Formats: sequence, structure tokens, C-alpha cells
Amino acid sequence: MASETVESTAATDRRSVTERLGLDSEAIRGWLTVLPVILLYLFVAVTPIAFAFYASLFEIPLLAPEWTFTGFSNYVEVLNMGSFWSALWLGGLFMVGSTVLQLLVGLWIALVLNKISYGQRFLTAVAFTAYLVPTVIVVLIALFMFDVEIGVLHIAGSNLGLWGERTFALGDQTWAMPLVVLIGSWKFSIFVTIFTLAQLRAIPERFYEAAKICGASRWEMFRDITLPRIMGVLLIAVLLRAIFMFNKFDIIWMLTEGGPAGATTTLPILAYRTAFLENSYGLANAMAVIMFIFLAIGAYCYFRAFNPAKEVDT
Amino acid sequence: MSAPTESEQRLSYETRDRLYQVALYGSAALFTFIILFPIYWMVQNAFTDSQAVITEFAWFPSPETVTLENFSVLTAGAVPTYVINTIVVTIGTIVLVVAVSLVAGYGMARFRFKYKESFAQFLLLGYMFSPIVLGLPLYLIWSETGLLNARIGLVIALSAISMPFAVWLMWKYIQTIPESMEESAWIAGASRWRTFWDVVVPQTKPAIVACALFAFAIAWNDFTFAQILLPSQDSTTFAPGIMRLIDQGGYTSWGDIMAVSFLMTIPPLLFAYFLQEYLLKGFEVRTR
Repeated sequence: MASETVESTAATDRRSVTERLGLDSEAIRGWLTVLPVILLYLFVAVTPIAFAFYASLFEIPLLAPEWTFTGFSNYVEVLNMGSFWSALWLGGLFMVGSTVLQLLVGLWIALVLNKISYGQRFLTAVAFTAYLVPTVIVVLIALFMFDVEIGVLHIAGSNLGLWGERTFALGDQTWAMPLVVLIGSWKFSIFVTIFTLAQLRAIPERFYEAAKICGASRWEMFRDITLPRIMGVLLIAVLLRAIFMFNKFDIIWMLTEGGPAGATTTLPILAYRTAFLENSYGLANAMAVIMFIFLAIGAYCYFRAFNPAKEVDT
Repeated sequence: MSAPTESEQRLSYETRDRLYQVALYGSAALFTFIILFPIYWMVQNAFTDSQAVITEFAWFPSPETVTLENFSVLTAGAVPTYVINTIVVTIGTIVLVVAVSLVAGYGMARFRFKYKESFAQFLLLGYMFSPIVLGLPLYLIWSETGLLNARIGLVIALSAISMPFAVWLMWKYIQTIPESMEESAWIAGASRWRTFWDVVVPQTKPAIVACALFAFAIAWNDFTFAQILLPSQDSTTFAPGIMRLIDQGGYTSWGDIMAVSFLMTIPPLLFAYFLQEYLLKGFEVRTR
């Protein structure tokens, strides 16, 4: 009698749990199909972030991995580092400069692409070209073009008096950061273009015709018809560009390795240096956690402001 | 404001229109130049005698200095290994991304299960993954699990960051395929797996191409993950490999570097031109 009761409660419990999770055979098969994705995410995203937080509580010389628990002292150390604050400042500068430039150029290209009637397909291909040329190739071409001996841009710049004849522009204190921003924007401006273009093409031509009849100038048409309609997508592009550029490592590292004398050392560069050149793996993970917090704030803004899933649905 | 006469108005309108056209096509020409000049410069020097590259500055190739010699960089030294590693990693990433996203996209489109929407939302967080933030902790994890310096480790990392896009694309695409064809296959006695393989997969070809392209772009372009996860000089891919060669100062023949750069640029350029529609389609799913 007693055992029966226990059994039956267990059975109802089991049913209620499976019901609550909605685990019939269809659901199980559904979850099985997405299992590989979950595993990949666990392995490559969730674990590393948890691990980074854990490792940031230790002092870990990378070459002799002996972990010494130090609590939050890595964070205290990071916040007391002059180089951290200068990297944050330079990273902000790099982020804002790149985002503004890419927004302006990207939008400009999109408007041109949308209006020209000849060579549209060609120009679209050209624009895509810049986006698809691998970063390393962009860097190699840039290094070649700024070469002190034979670089075409180096010669042009020194003839214009921008820098000396023997000055490697990317190794110059004043020029390194602006040039890294420019070279990065050569590649990434098109991101904004592609984002905007579909939206631009969706604006009905009759709006412009009506405005023309009312005697609106081109600027007024842009301000009152085009801009309000692409504002949403532009904001998304700006937010994404800002997040991506703040976390940019590859193009800066390949062009300057953070130099000269730290002039292009942004947060990702500083974290990489700390881990692999200064051998302080725990400290570097504290920086990774701080970068992750920035990312999370950016992601939160992104999801709060735009609800991308809803937009994908429509 | 005094009303201008009719002829004045037309004239000014025409002038303004002409100016507008000039600005429009002028901008188009300017962008084309800014984007294409570096690429032209790379190609031109790739085919120029490596001695002439350093000694004679020339805007256009001249018949005396044109040569294919620079491409011999692909036959000796470390560069061929790097290029092969990049190709292997890229193919591996494409295969893994397409396989995993096809199955997941099919499951999400055809099975009903709770929390599916939240799961899809969670996937989108993947856009925020930054290789440098993930790469630092992954370094020790990979070295503990033996994936450090293994190409498969890089393939796994690159596939994970390609997932949000690929799975969303497959999911949305398979939703547009009518279920009735599958149903008739079931009635004819086909298993679920067989139906998936013979009925669904052939119809998802455009989505497969878009996913493959996207995975290609991620893997071919990667530097950060490879730099951290393939630290050994012999096993690394092209981007970190060539940068380390240049850093060590042992490699400054610009002719050779431009030649191999040119070869590495050809696949993305071909895709940019011939698969434009697929790319735009992919971006539409991504942005909207």
C-alpha cells in the first residue's frame, strides 16, 4: 500500500517535470538537432568566459603555470595600471574615430549606389571586394604602400610634407593612430553600406516624386524622407560597429603591434601583451573579463533597443 | 523671396541637376579608385620582378620587368604550409558549419519544442563574441585538452562564432519550404532521416551556399584565433604565419609577399562577383 503511493507520486512527479519542460518525443528530437550547436557554444563561449573569470582570481605565469590564488587583487592591479587607463582612452578614440568615419563613408557609398543608374552591379562588386579582402592582405598591402623605401603612399605623404622622408608613417607617434583608423575603415565602411542598402531600396519612389512636385530640394528629400526611414538600421550599424571596433585586435596588432611606444595600444592589444609577452595570464584574464563586461553592456543595449529577433522575423 | 521667372528656374534646376549628376558619378569614381587602387598595386607588383619592385618605382607594369617568378614563393619555404593550413581550416569550418546548421535549422523549423524561441534569442548573443575575449581563456583550455596547435581546435572555435548566422539562416530558410513534400515521402514509407536527406537538403541549396560563404569569410579572414590557438610556427595558418615571418625580419621581398597576397585574394574576389545575390540574401537575413 505504502509503496504504491510512493510509486504513484513519483510517477506524477515525473510526468509533471516532463510536462513542464515540454519533453515529449518531438521535443526531445528537436533538442537533439540543436545539441551540436549547444555543445559548440558551451565549449567555445560559455566555458571560456567562466574560465576567464576563474583564472582572473589567480596569479598565473604562463610559462610555468603554477596558480596562486590572489582573489580580486588582479582587478585592483588592473584598475591601478596607468597603461590600462591609457589603453581604455586609446581604445575609445579608435572606436569613436572608426565608427564615425565608417558611418559617414558607408552611408555615402550606399546613397551613391542607390542612385546611380550605370555601373551599379560593378560598384556593388567593388564595394564587396573591400569587405571580403582578408584583413591580413589589407595589412600586407598597407605595410607595402607605407614602406620607407618604395611605398607609394609613403612617398606621396612625404612629398606633401605630412611626414619625413625617412619616417615610417605607421611607426610615427602622431600618424600611427589616424592611419590605423583609416586602413580599418577602408575595409569596414562597406558593412554600413550593406546594412543600409536594402532599407534604402525599400523606400517607394513615389515619396520622392511627391516631394519633387511640392518643390523640395534634394537635401530636404534626404532629411525628411530618406533619413527617418534608415535611422533605425543606421543606429544598429553604429552600435555593432562600435562594439566590433572596441574589441578589434587583428588589424591593430598586425599593423603596429600596439606601437610606437603604446600609441595604438587599445584594450585588446594590452590584454594580449599582458598574457603572452609579459607572462601574466591571470592579469590578462581580468582584462578579458572587463572587456566582456563592456561587451555585455553593448549587447544589452543592442537587444533592449532593437530586439533583433523580432526584426529577423519580419 | 521674389519669384524667379520660369526660364531662370528651369536653368537653375538643370544646372543643379547636372551638378548633382557630377557629384554622384564623381563619388562613384572616387570610391572605385580608393578601393581598387591598393588591389591594383598589389597585383601589379605581384607580377613585377622582385628586384625591380624595390629599385624602380613605376605606376604601370613594363614588359621588361613583368615576371611570374614571385609565385615561386609557393613552392619553397614555410609559406606553402601556411596556405595549405588555411585551406584545410577553411574547408573544415565550412563542412562543420553547414552540417551543424542544417540539422539544427531543420529541427527548429520542423519540431515544436518549448524554449525554442529563447534558444534562438540566446544564439544571437553569439554576434557579440569577440575572438580576443574568447581566445585568451581558450588558450589554456585548448592546451589542457590537447587542441592547442591542432587545426581541428581552430575549426571548432571558428565554427562556433559562425553559428548564430548559419543557424538562423537555415531555420528561416527551411520554414519557407512546404512540408507537404516531406509528408508524401513519409507516406511512401521513407524514414525521417531519409526524408531530410533526400527531400529537404536538396531544396536548401541556396541557404547552404550562403552559409558556406559566410563560414568561408570568417575562416579565411581569421587572424586572432589562429594567432592565439596555433602558436607554433609550423602548424599555423597564413595570416599569423606571414606576419611572424615579416616580424623576424627574415622576409621582406615585397614581390613575393604581393604574389602570395594576390593568390589569397582571388577566392574572395571570385565569390564577391559571382555570388553577389547569395551574399546580399545572407545579409538581409542578418540585418532584418
